[in-house]
Amino acid sequence: MDALELCYMSAGELSGLIRDKQVSPVEIVDAHLARIEATEPILNSFITLLPEHARQAASRAEAQIQAGNYRGPLHGIPVGLKDLFNTAGVRTTSGSRVMDNFVPTEDCTVAARFQQAGAILLGKLNMHQFAYGPTGENFDYGHMHNPWNPEMVTGGSSGGSGSAAAAGQCTITMGSDTGGSVRIPAALCGIVGLKPTYGLVSRAGLTPLSWCLDHPGPMVRTVEDAALSMNAIAGYDPKDQATSQRATPDYASALTGSVEGLRIGVVKEYFEAPVDSEVEAAVRAALAQLVEMGATVNEVSLPMFADAQAISGTILMSEAAAYHRDLLASNGGNLTPSVRLRLEAGLFVTAADYLKAQQGRARFNHEMAMLFNDVDLLAGPTEPITAPPLLANEVAVGDRMVGTVAALTQFTRPYNISGTPAISVPCGFSGDGMPIGLQLAGRPFDEATVLRAAHAYEQASEWRLKRPPV
Amino acid sequence: MPTDNPLDRPSFDYMAGVAGLDVADDHMNELFSYVQAALAVTDRLHELDTAGYEPDAAFDPAQFYQE
Repeated sequence: MDALELCYMSAGELSGLIRDKQVSPVEIVDAHLARIEATEPILNSFITLLPEHARQAASRAEAQIQAGNYRGPLHGIPVGLKDLFNTAGVRTTSGSRVMDNFVPTEDCTVAARFQQAGAILLGKLNMHQFAYGPTGENFDYGHMHNPWNPEMVTGGSSGGSGSAAAAGQCTITMGSDTGGSVRIPAALCGIVGLKPTYGLVSRAGLTPLSWCLDHPGPMVRTVEDAALSMNAIAGYDPKDQATSQRATPDYASALTGSVEGLRIGVVKEYFEAPVDSEVEAAVRAALAQLVEMGATVNEVSLPMFADAQAISGTILMSEAAAYHRDLLASNGGNLTPSVRLRLEAGLFVTAADYLKAQQGRARFNHEMAMLFNDVDLLAGPTEPITAPPLLANEVAVGDRMVGTVAALTQFTRPYNISGTPAISVPCGFSGDGMPIGLQLAGRPFDEATVLRAAHAYEQASEWRLKRPPV
Repeated sequence: MPTDNPLDRPSFDYMAGVAGLDVADDHMNELFSYVQAALAVTDRLHELDTAGYEPDAAFDPAQFYQE
Protein backbone atom coordinates (compact mmCIF):
# COMPACT_ATOMS: atom_id res chain seq x y z
CA MET A 1 0.00 0.00 0.00
CA ASP A 2 1.21 3.51 -0.85
CA ALA A 3 3.07 4.94 2.14
CA LEU A 4 1.66 8.47 1.77
CA GLU A 5 -1.88 7.07 1.64
CA LEU A 6 -1.24 5.26 4.92
CA CYS A 7 -0.16 8.56 6.46
CA TYR A 8 -3.39 10.30 5.44
CA MET A 9 -5.74 7.49 6.42
CA SER A 10 -7.74 8.02 9.57
CA ALA A 11 -7.53 5.71 12.56
CA GLY A 12 -11.02 4.55 11.62
CA GLU A 13 -9.78 3.49 8.18
CA LEU A 14 -6.46 2.06 9.34
CA SER A 15 -8.00 0.04 12.14
CA GLY A 16 -10.03 -2.08 9.75
CA LEU A 17 -6.96 -2.84 7.67
CA ILE A 18 -4.92 -3.68 10.78
CA ARG A 19 -7.65 -5.88 12.24
CA ASP A 20 -7.99 -7.76 8.97
CA LYS A 21 -4.20 -8.07 8.70
CA GLN A 22 -4.12 -6.28 5.35
CA VAL A 23 -1.54 -3.86 6.68
CA SER A 24 0.79 -4.20 9.65
CA PRO A 25 1.59 -1.66 12.37
CA VAL A 26 5.23 -1.92 11.28
CA GLU A 27 4.32 -0.80 7.76
CA ILE A 28 2.24 2.06 9.15
CA VAL A 29 4.93 3.25 11.55
CA ASP A 30 7.61 3.07 8.86
CA ALA A 31 5.42 5.14 6.54
CA HIS A 32 4.93 7.79 9.21
CA LEU A 33 8.63 7.91 10.12
CA ALA A 34 9.44 8.44 6.44
CA ARG A 35 6.80 11.16 6.23
CA ILE A 36 8.27 12.84 9.31
CA GLU A 37 11.78 12.65 7.86
CA ALA A 38 10.58 14.28 4.65
CA THR A 39 8.52 17.07 6.20
CA GLU A 40 10.12 17.81 9.55
CA PRO A 41 12.78 20.16 8.14
CA ILE A 42 9.89 22.38 7.05
CA LEU A 43 7.39 21.91 9.87
CA ASN A 44 9.42 21.33 13.06
CA SER A 45 6.48 19.56 14.69
CA PHE A 46 8.54 17.44 17.10
CA ILE A 47 10.76 18.19 20.06
CA THR A 48 11.65 14.53 20.61
CA LEU A 49 11.21 11.84 17.98
CA LEU A 50 11.18 8.18 19.07
CA PRO A 51 11.85 6.08 15.95
CA GLU A 52 13.37 3.04 17.68
CA HIS A 53 10.77 3.02 20.43
CA ALA A 54 8.04 3.25 17.78
CA ARG A 55 9.48 0.47 15.61
CA GLN A 56 9.79 -1.86 18.61
CA ALA A 57 6.25 -1.08 19.72
CA ALA A 58 5.01 -1.67 16.18
CA SER A 59 6.72 -5.07 16.07
CA ARG A 60 5.11 -6.03 19.37
CA ALA A 61 1.71 -4.87 18.12
CA GLU A 62 2.15 -6.86 14.92
CA ALA A 63 2.99 -10.00 16.91
CA GLN A 64 0.02 -9.50 19.22
CA ILE A 65 -2.38 -9.06 16.31
CA GLN A 66 -0.95 -12.05 14.45
CA ALA A 67 -1.48 -14.08 17.62
CA GLY A 68 -5.14 -13.06 17.70
CA ASN A 69 -4.83 -10.45 20.43
CA TYR A 70 -6.25 -7.44 18.60
CA ARG A 71 -7.03 -4.78 21.20
CA GLY A 72 -9.34 -2.50 19.25
CA PRO A 73 -9.40 0.52 16.92
CA LEU A 74 -6.24 2.19 18.24
CA HIS A 75 -4.06 -0.91 18.16
CA GLY A 76 -1.06 -0.08 15.98
CA ILE A 77 -2.13 3.55 15.39
CA PRO A 78 0.66 6.20 15.47
CA VAL A 79 0.16 8.85 18.12
CA GLY A 80 2.03 12.03 19.08
CA LEU A 81 1.73 13.84 22.41
CA LYS A 82 2.27 17.51 23.12
CA ASP A 83 5.48 17.77 25.10
CA LEU A 84 3.78 18.56 28.39
CA PHE A 85 2.28 15.05 28.66
CA ASN A 86 4.62 13.10 30.93
CA THR A 87 6.07 9.97 29.35
CA ALA A 88 8.05 7.47 31.39
CA GLY A 89 11.69 7.41 30.34
CA VAL A 90 11.20 10.08 27.66
CA ARG A 91 12.09 13.71 28.38
CA THR A 92 9.16 16.07 28.73
CA THR A 93 10.21 19.67 28.20
CA SER A 94 6.95 21.66 28.19
CA GLY A 95 8.61 23.54 25.35
CA SER A 96 11.40 25.00 27.49
CA ARG A 97 15.12 24.31 27.53
CA VAL A 98 15.08 24.72 31.30
CA MET A 99 13.19 21.40 31.35
CA ASP A 100 15.52 19.73 28.86
CA ASN A 101 16.70 17.16 31.37
CA PHE A 102 13.34 16.32 32.92
CA VAL A 103 12.67 12.64 32.31
CA PRO A 104 9.47 11.48 34.06
CA THR A 105 9.45 8.09 35.71
CA GLU A 106 5.74 7.59 35.11
CA ASP A 107 3.38 8.03 32.17
CA CYS A 108 0.59 10.56 32.41
CA THR A 109 -2.82 8.93 32.44
CA VAL A 110 -3.53 9.87 28.82
CA ALA A 111 -0.28 8.26 27.63
CA ALA A 112 -0.98 5.16 29.71
CA ARG A 113 -4.49 4.83 28.29
CA PHE A 114 -3.27 5.20 24.72
CA GLN A 115 -0.69 2.53 25.45
CA GLN A 116 -3.33 0.23 26.92
CA ALA A 117 -5.34 0.70 23.74
CA GLY A 118 -2.31 -0.40 21.71
CA ALA A 119 -1.47 2.98 20.18
CA ILE A 120 2.16 3.63 19.28
CA LEU A 121 3.93 6.77 20.48
CA LEU A 122 5.98 8.35 17.68
CA GLY A 123 7.29 11.29 19.66
CA LYS A 124 6.73 14.40 21.70
CA LEU A 125 5.35 17.41 19.91
CA ASN A 126 6.51 21.00 19.81
CA MET A 127 4.51 23.64 21.63
CA HIS A 128 4.47 27.22 22.78
CA GLN A 129 6.66 27.40 25.88
CA PHE A 130 4.74 26.19 28.95
CA ALA A 131 1.60 26.35 26.77
CA TYR A 132 1.50 30.09 27.44
CA GLY A 133 0.81 31.50 23.98
CA PRO A 134 -1.62 30.92 21.10
CA THR A 135 0.73 31.14 18.11
CA GLY A 136 3.04 28.12 18.16
CA GLU A 137 6.24 30.12 18.24
CA ASN A 138 9.08 28.58 20.23
CA PHE A 139 12.48 30.24 20.58
CA ASP A 140 14.06 27.25 22.36
CA TYR A 141 13.20 24.44 19.96
CA GLY A 142 12.34 26.46 16.86
CA HIS A 143 9.02 27.74 15.64
CA MET A 144 6.28 25.45 14.37
CA HIS A 145 5.27 26.02 10.73
CA ASN A 146 1.83 25.71 9.18
CA PRO A 147 1.65 22.88 6.62
CA TRP A 148 -0.62 24.99 4.40
CA ASN A 149 1.95 27.78 4.26
CA PRO A 150 5.13 27.44 6.34
CA GLU A 151 5.48 31.21 6.64
CA MET A 152 2.34 31.23 8.76
CA VAL A 153 1.89 30.14 12.37
CA THR A 154 0.33 26.83 13.29
CA GLY A 155 -1.51 28.44 16.16
CA GLY A 156 -0.88 27.28 19.65
CA SER A 157 -0.09 26.38 22.12
CA SER A 158 -0.42 22.83 20.73
CA GLY A 159 1.13 23.87 17.42
CA GLY A 160 3.20 20.76 16.80
CA SER A 161 0.10 18.64 17.38
CA GLY A 162 -1.73 20.70 14.76
CA SER A 163 0.97 20.52 12.11
CA ALA A 164 1.74 16.82 12.73
CA ALA A 165 -1.87 15.75 12.32
CA ALA A 166 -2.50 18.04 9.34
CA ALA A 167 0.60 16.89 7.46
CA GLY A 168 0.15 13.16 8.03
CA GLN A 169 3.06 12.85 10.45
CA CYS A 170 0.77 11.25 13.07
CA THR A 171 -2.71 9.76 12.87
CA ILE A 172 -3.72 11.06 16.28
CA THR A 173 -2.17 13.85 18.32
CA MET A 174 -3.02 15.24 21.71
CA GLY A 175 -3.02 18.85 22.84
CA SER A 176 -4.11 20.74 25.91
CA ASP A 177 -6.51 23.68 25.87
CA THR A 178 -6.51 26.43 28.50
CA GLY A 179 -7.74 29.33 26.37
CA GLY A 180 -8.08 27.58 23.02
CA SER A 181 -4.81 25.68 22.61
CA VAL A 182 -6.43 22.63 21.01
CA ARG A 183 -9.01 24.46 18.89
CA ILE A 184 -6.79 27.33 17.69
CA PRO A 185 -4.16 25.16 15.95
CA ALA A 186 -6.92 22.81 14.79
CA ALA A 187 -8.67 25.67 13.01
CA LEU A 188 -5.50 27.22 11.61
CA CYS A 189 -4.08 23.87 10.42
CA GLY A 190 -7.34 22.53 8.97
CA ILE A 191 -7.99 19.61 11.31
CA VAL A 192 -10.47 18.58 14.00
CA GLY A 193 -9.75 19.59 17.60
CA LEU A 194 -11.96 18.63 20.54
CA LYS A 195 -11.79 20.32 23.92
CA PRO A 196 -13.79 17.91 26.06
CA THR A 197 -15.78 18.82 29.15
CA TYR A 198 -13.59 19.79 32.11
CA GLY A 199 -13.16 16.65 34.19
CA LEU A 200 -13.78 14.17 31.38
CA VAL A 201 -10.12 13.60 30.40
CA SER A 202 -7.50 13.31 33.11
CA ARG A 203 -4.91 16.06 33.57
CA ALA A 204 -2.77 13.80 35.76
CA GLY A 205 0.84 13.93 34.61
CA LEU A 206 0.44 17.05 32.48
CA THR A 207 2.36 20.25 33.23
CA PRO A 208 -0.38 22.64 34.35
CA LEU A 209 -0.91 26.11 32.98
CA SER A 210 -4.11 26.78 34.89
CA TRP A 211 -5.54 24.02 37.05
CA CYS A 212 -9.15 25.05 36.60
CA LEU A 213 -8.97 25.91 32.88
CA ASP A 214 -6.75 23.13 31.46
CA HIS A 215 -8.48 20.57 29.21
CA PRO A 216 -6.53 17.81 27.38
CA GLY A 217 -8.08 16.92 24.02
CA PRO A 218 -7.52 15.06 20.74
CA MET A 219 -6.36 16.73 17.51
CA VAL A 220 -7.06 14.58 14.47
CA ARG A 221 -8.09 14.72 10.83
CA THR A 222 -11.60 13.28 11.23
CA VAL A 223 -14.38 13.57 13.79
CA GLU A 224 -14.54 9.77 13.97
CA ASP A 225 -10.92 9.74 15.15
CA ALA A 226 -11.79 12.26 17.86
CA ALA A 227 -14.52 9.89 19.01
CA LEU A 228 -12.20 6.86 18.93
CA SER A 229 -9.58 8.81 20.90
CA MET A 230 -12.16 9.79 23.50
CA ASN A 231 -13.22 6.17 23.85
CA ALA A 232 -9.64 5.39 24.86
CA ILE A 233 -8.82 8.32 27.14
CA ALA A 234 -12.05 9.64 28.70
CA GLY A 235 -13.24 8.71 32.15
CA TYR A 236 -12.57 8.84 35.84
CA ASP A 237 -8.98 8.84 37.06
CA PRO A 238 -8.23 8.65 40.78
CA LYS A 239 -5.03 10.59 40.08
CA ASP A 240 -7.01 13.67 38.94
CA GLN A 241 -9.42 14.99 41.53
CA ALA A 242 -11.30 16.97 38.87
CA THR A 243 -12.32 13.92 36.85
CA SER A 244 -15.94 12.88 36.91
CA GLN A 245 -17.06 9.42 37.98
CA ARG A 246 -19.98 9.37 35.56
CA ALA A 247 -19.96 6.59 32.97
CA THR A 248 -18.67 7.49 29.52
CA PRO A 249 -20.62 6.45 26.43
CA ASP A 250 -19.29 4.94 23.21
CA TYR A 251 -18.62 8.20 21.41
CA ALA A 252 -18.24 6.53 18.03
CA SER A 253 -21.78 5.19 18.21
CA ALA A 254 -23.04 8.78 18.45
CA LEU A 255 -21.90 9.47 14.88
CA THR A 256 -25.21 8.84 13.20
CA GLY A 257 -24.73 11.29 10.35
CA SER A 258 -27.91 13.14 11.27
CA VAL A 259 -28.50 16.60 12.70
CA GLU A 260 -32.26 16.34 12.23
CA GLY A 261 -34.01 18.33 14.93
CA LEU A 262 -30.87 19.74 16.52
CA ARG A 263 -31.28 23.32 17.72
CA ILE A 264 -28.18 25.41 17.06
CA GLY A 265 -27.71 28.87 18.51
CA VAL A 266 -25.39 31.28 16.74
CA VAL A 267 -23.80 33.61 19.26
CA LYS A 268 -24.41 37.02 17.74
CA GLU A 269 -21.58 38.64 19.68
CA TYR A 270 -19.13 36.49 17.71
CA PHE A 271 -20.10 38.29 14.52
CA GLU A 272 -20.23 41.69 16.17
CA ALA A 273 -16.54 41.32 17.00
CA PRO A 274 -14.13 41.93 14.11
CA VAL A 275 -14.19 38.86 11.83
CA ASP A 276 -12.48 38.42 8.50
CA SER A 277 -15.06 38.47 5.69
CA GLU A 278 -13.89 35.15 4.20
CA VAL A 279 -14.11 33.49 7.62
CA GLU A 280 -17.61 34.84 8.20
CA ALA A 281 -18.76 33.69 4.75
CA ALA A 282 -17.39 30.18 5.30
CA VAL A 283 -18.97 29.83 8.73
CA ARG A 284 -22.33 31.16 7.56
CA ALA A 285 -22.23 28.73 4.62
CA ALA A 286 -21.57 25.86 7.04
CA LEU A 287 -24.52 26.94 9.18
CA ALA A 288 -26.72 27.09 6.08
CA GLN A 289 -25.63 23.56 5.23
CA LEU A 290 -26.58 22.36 8.70
CA VAL A 291 -30.04 23.89 8.17
CA GLU A 292 -30.36 22.04 4.86
CA MET A 293 -29.51 18.87 6.75
CA GLY A 294 -32.35 19.34 9.20
CA ALA A 295 -30.98 21.44 12.06
CA THR A 296 -32.57 24.70 13.11
CA VAL A 297 -30.28 27.70 13.48
CA ASN A 298 -31.23 30.79 15.46
CA GLU A 299 -29.33 33.78 16.71
CA VAL A 300 -28.75 33.91 20.46
CA SER A 301 -27.01 36.40 22.70
CA LEU A 302 -24.24 35.86 25.23
CA PRO A 303 -23.78 39.37 26.65
CA MET A 304 -20.97 38.26 28.93
CA PHE A 305 -18.88 37.31 25.89
CA ALA A 306 -17.30 40.73 26.38
CA ASP A 307 -16.20 39.75 29.90
CA ALA A 308 -14.56 36.48 28.89
CA GLN A 309 -11.07 37.89 28.48
CA ALA A 310 -11.14 39.60 31.87
CA ILE A 311 -12.44 36.51 33.65
CA SER A 312 -10.24 33.89 32.03
CA GLY A 313 -7.22 36.18 31.74
CA THR A 314 -7.22 36.97 35.45
CA ILE A 315 -7.64 33.33 36.45
CA LEU A 316 -5.03 32.17 33.96
CA MET A 317 -2.42 34.74 34.96
CA SER A 318 -2.86 33.96 38.65
CA GLU A 319 -2.74 30.19 38.39
CA ALA A 320 0.12 30.11 35.87
CA ALA A 321 2.19 32.37 38.10
CA ALA A 322 1.39 30.29 41.17
CA TYR A 323 2.49 27.07 39.46
CA HIS A 324 5.70 28.54 37.98
CA ARG A 325 6.61 30.84 40.88
CA ASP A 326 9.65 28.87 42.04
CA LEU A 327 10.92 28.51 38.48
CA LEU A 328 10.57 32.25 37.90
CA ALA A 329 12.60 33.00 40.99
CA SER A 330 15.33 30.46 40.24
CA ASN A 331 15.55 30.43 36.47
CA GLY A 332 13.34 33.16 35.04
CA GLY A 333 16.16 34.62 32.96
CA ASN A 334 16.33 31.47 30.87
CA LEU A 335 12.69 31.57 29.80
CA THR A 336 11.50 33.09 26.53
CA PRO A 337 11.13 36.81 27.40
CA SER A 338 7.48 37.09 26.34
CA VAL A 339 6.51 33.97 28.29
CA ARG A 340 8.50 35.13 31.31
CA LEU A 341 6.65 38.46 31.30
CA ARG A 342 3.25 36.74 31.07
CA LEU A 343 4.10 34.40 33.93
CA GLU A 344 5.58 37.09 36.15
CA ALA A 345 2.65 39.45 35.60
CA GLY A 346 0.41 36.96 37.35
CA LEU A 347 2.37 37.45 40.55
CA PHE A 348 0.84 40.92 40.78
CA VAL A 349 -2.82 39.92 40.52
CA THR A 350 -4.41 40.33 43.94
CA ALA A 351 -6.28 37.53 45.67
CA ALA A 352 -9.36 39.75 45.64
CA ASP A 353 -9.21 40.09 41.85
CA TYR A 354 -8.66 36.36 41.40
CA LEU A 355 -11.76 35.64 43.45
CA LYS A 356 -13.69 38.36 41.65
CA ALA A 357 -12.83 36.57 38.42
CA GLN A 358 -14.10 33.29 39.90
CA GLN A 359 -17.32 35.05 40.86
CA GLY A 360 -17.53 36.35 37.31
CA ARG A 361 -16.99 32.81 36.08
CA ALA A 362 -19.97 31.62 38.11
CA ARG A 363 -22.17 34.33 36.60
CA PHE A 364 -20.83 33.62 33.12
CA ASN A 365 -21.60 29.92 33.51
CA HIS A 366 -25.10 30.70 34.76
CA GLU A 367 -25.69 32.83 31.65
CA MET A 368 -24.38 30.11 29.36
CA ALA A 369 -26.51 27.46 31.07
CA MET A 370 -29.58 29.63 30.40
CA LEU A 371 -28.69 29.63 26.70
CA PHE A 372 -28.63 25.84 26.68
CA ASN A 373 -32.25 25.77 27.85
CA ASP A 374 -33.21 26.75 24.31
CA VAL A 375 -30.49 25.22 22.14
CA ASP A 376 -28.52 21.98 21.90
CA LEU A 377 -25.37 23.55 20.48
CA LEU A 378 -23.73 26.94 20.17
CA ALA A 379 -21.92 27.77 16.95
CA GLY A 380 -19.60 30.35 15.49
CA PRO A 381 -16.14 30.74 14.00
CA THR A 382 -13.29 29.13 15.93
CA GLU A 383 -11.03 31.97 14.83
CA PRO A 384 -11.79 35.42 13.40
CA ILE A 385 -8.90 35.06 10.94
CA THR A 386 -6.85 32.47 9.14
CA ALA A 387 -3.27 31.75 10.26
CA PRO A 388 -1.25 34.97 10.60
CA PRO A 389 2.44 35.25 9.70
CA LEU A 390 5.03 34.07 12.21
CA LEU A 391 6.10 36.67 14.78
CA ALA A 392 3.32 39.15 13.98
CA ASN A 393 2.35 41.03 17.14
CA GLU A 394 -0.73 42.46 15.45
CA VAL A 395 -3.00 41.09 12.77
CA ALA A 396 -5.53 42.68 10.44
CA VAL A 397 -9.09 41.59 11.14
CA GLY A 398 -11.26 43.22 8.53
CA ASP A 399 -10.25 46.87 8.57
CA ARG A 400 -8.88 46.81 12.13
CA MET A 401 -5.51 45.91 13.59
CA VAL A 402 -5.85 43.67 16.65
CA GLY A 403 -3.28 42.14 18.99
CA THR A 404 -2.53 38.60 17.81
CA VAL A 405 -3.03 36.96 21.21
CA ALA A 406 -6.38 38.66 21.77
CA ALA A 407 -7.55 37.91 18.24
CA LEU A 408 -6.68 34.22 18.40
CA THR A 409 -8.24 33.54 21.81
CA GLN A 410 -11.42 35.66 21.79
CA PHE A 411 -13.80 32.97 20.48
CA THR A 412 -12.25 30.01 22.28
CA ARG A 413 -11.84 31.34 25.84
CA PRO A 414 -15.57 31.32 26.67
CA TYR A 415 -15.71 27.52 26.63
CA ASN A 416 -12.70 27.22 28.92
CA ILE A 417 -14.58 29.38 31.40
CA SER A 418 -17.70 27.23 31.07
CA GLY A 419 -15.77 23.97 30.92
CA THR A 420 -18.23 22.76 28.30
CA PRO A 421 -17.22 20.67 25.26
CA ALA A 422 -16.24 22.53 22.09
CA ILE A 423 -14.93 21.29 18.78
CA SER A 424 -13.32 22.96 15.79
CA VAL A 425 -14.10 21.29 12.47
CA PRO A 426 -12.83 22.49 9.06
CA CYS A 427 -15.44 24.52 7.15
CA GLY A 428 -13.55 26.06 4.26
CA PHE A 429 -10.47 27.82 2.96
CA SER A 430 -9.53 31.41 2.31
CA GLY A 431 -8.66 32.68 -1.13
CA ASP A 432 -4.99 32.16 -0.33
CA GLY A 433 -5.57 28.55 0.65
CA MET A 434 -5.59 28.76 4.45
CA PRO A 435 -8.04 26.68 6.50
CA ILE A 436 -11.08 28.02 8.37
CA GLY A 437 -12.73 26.35 11.37
CA LEU A 438 -16.33 26.11 12.58
CA GLN A 439 -16.70 25.90 16.36
CA LEU A 440 -19.56 23.90 17.89
CA ALA A 441 -20.09 23.76 21.66
CA GLY A 442 -22.48 21.69 23.75
CA ARG A 443 -23.73 21.09 27.27
CA PRO A 444 -21.38 19.64 29.90
CA PHE A 445 -20.60 15.96 29.20
CA ASP A 446 -22.66 16.03 25.99
CA GLU A 447 -19.70 15.32 23.72
CA ALA A 448 -21.97 12.90 21.89
CA THR A 449 -24.09 15.73 20.43
CA VAL A 450 -21.06 17.88 19.64
CA LEU A 451 -19.37 15.01 17.83
CA ARG A 452 -22.58 13.98 16.06
CA ALA A 453 -23.14 17.43 14.57
CA ALA A 454 -19.49 17.93 13.65
CA HIS A 455 -19.35 14.50 12.03
CA ALA A 456 -22.57 15.02 10.06
CA TYR A 457 -21.29 18.36 8.73
CA GLU A 458 -17.86 16.90 7.97
CA GLN A 459 -19.36 14.04 5.98
CA ALA A 460 -21.63 16.40 4.05
CA SER A 461 -18.68 18.60 3.07
CA GLU A 462 -15.42 17.71 1.37
CA TRP A 463 -12.95 19.87 3.31
CA ARG A 464 -11.43 16.80 4.99
CA LEU A 465 -10.27 15.52 1.62
CA LYS A 466 -7.91 18.45 0.97
CA ARG A 467 -4.24 17.95 1.80
CA PRO A 468 -1.66 20.60 2.57
CA PRO A 469 0.99 21.21 -0.09
CA VAL A 470 3.94 20.32 2.15
CA MET B 1 -3.20 51.68 29.19
CA PRO B 2 -5.32 53.32 31.91
CA THR B 3 -6.32 51.19 34.84
CA ASP B 4 -8.33 51.79 38.00
CA ASN B 5 -5.97 49.44 39.79
CA PRO B 6 -2.74 51.43 39.57
CA LEU B 7 0.36 49.78 40.90
CA ASP B 8 3.06 52.28 41.81
CA ARG B 9 6.73 51.40 41.61
CA PRO B 10 7.37 51.00 45.33
CA SER B 11 4.42 48.64 45.66
CA PHE B 12 5.56 46.77 42.58
CA ASP B 13 9.10 46.40 43.95
CA TYR B 14 7.75 45.19 47.29
CA MET B 15 5.50 42.57 45.68
CA ALA B 16 8.29 41.47 43.34
CA GLY B 17 10.59 40.97 46.29
CA VAL B 18 7.99 38.98 48.20
CA ALA B 19 7.52 36.80 45.11
CA GLY B 20 11.25 36.04 45.07
CA LEU B 21 12.13 38.09 42.00
CA ASP B 22 15.42 39.99 41.86
CA VAL B 23 14.27 43.60 42.19
CA ALA B 24 17.74 44.88 41.26
CA ASP B 25 17.56 43.22 37.84
CA ASP B 26 17.20 45.61 34.87
CA HIS B 27 14.40 43.30 33.70
CA MET B 28 12.21 44.83 36.42
CA ASN B 29 11.74 48.03 34.38
CA GLU B 30 10.31 46.06 31.48
CA LEU B 31 8.21 43.95 33.84
CA PHE B 32 6.80 47.04 35.58
CA SER B 33 5.53 48.42 32.27
CA TYR B 34 4.17 45.04 31.25
CA VAL B 35 2.36 44.50 34.55
CA GLN B 36 0.69 47.91 34.39
CA ALA B 37 -0.72 47.03 30.98
CA ALA B 38 -1.58 43.46 31.90
CA LEU B 39 -3.51 44.42 35.01
CA ALA B 40 -5.80 46.58 32.89
CA VAL B 41 -7.62 43.33 32.16
CA THR B 42 -8.98 43.48 35.70
CA ASP B 43 -10.61 46.88 35.09
CA ARG B 44 -13.56 45.18 33.41
CA LEU B 45 -13.82 42.75 36.31
CA HIS B 46 -14.33 45.60 38.72
CA GLU B 47 -17.32 46.79 36.68
CA LEU B 48 -18.91 43.33 36.73
CA ASP B 49 -21.92 42.84 38.99
CA THR B 50 -21.28 39.54 40.73
CA ALA B 51 -23.68 39.97 43.64
CA GLY B 52 -25.14 36.62 44.57
CA TYR B 53 -22.37 34.58 42.93
CA GLU B 54 -19.81 32.75 45.02
CA PRO B 55 -16.35 32.17 43.58
CA ASP B 56 -16.59 29.16 41.29
CA ALA B 57 -13.49 27.47 42.66
CA ALA B 58 -13.76 23.71 42.77
CA PHE B 59 -13.53 22.16 46.20
CA ASP B 60 -14.98 18.82 47.21
CA PRO B 61 -14.15 17.82 50.79
CA ALA B 62 -15.20 14.24 50.05
CA GLN B 63 -12.40 13.89 47.56
CA PHE B 64 -9.91 13.30 50.39
CA TYR B 65 -11.87 10.34 51.79
CA GLN B 66 -12.10 8.18 48.67
CA GLU B 67 -8.95 6.09 48.97
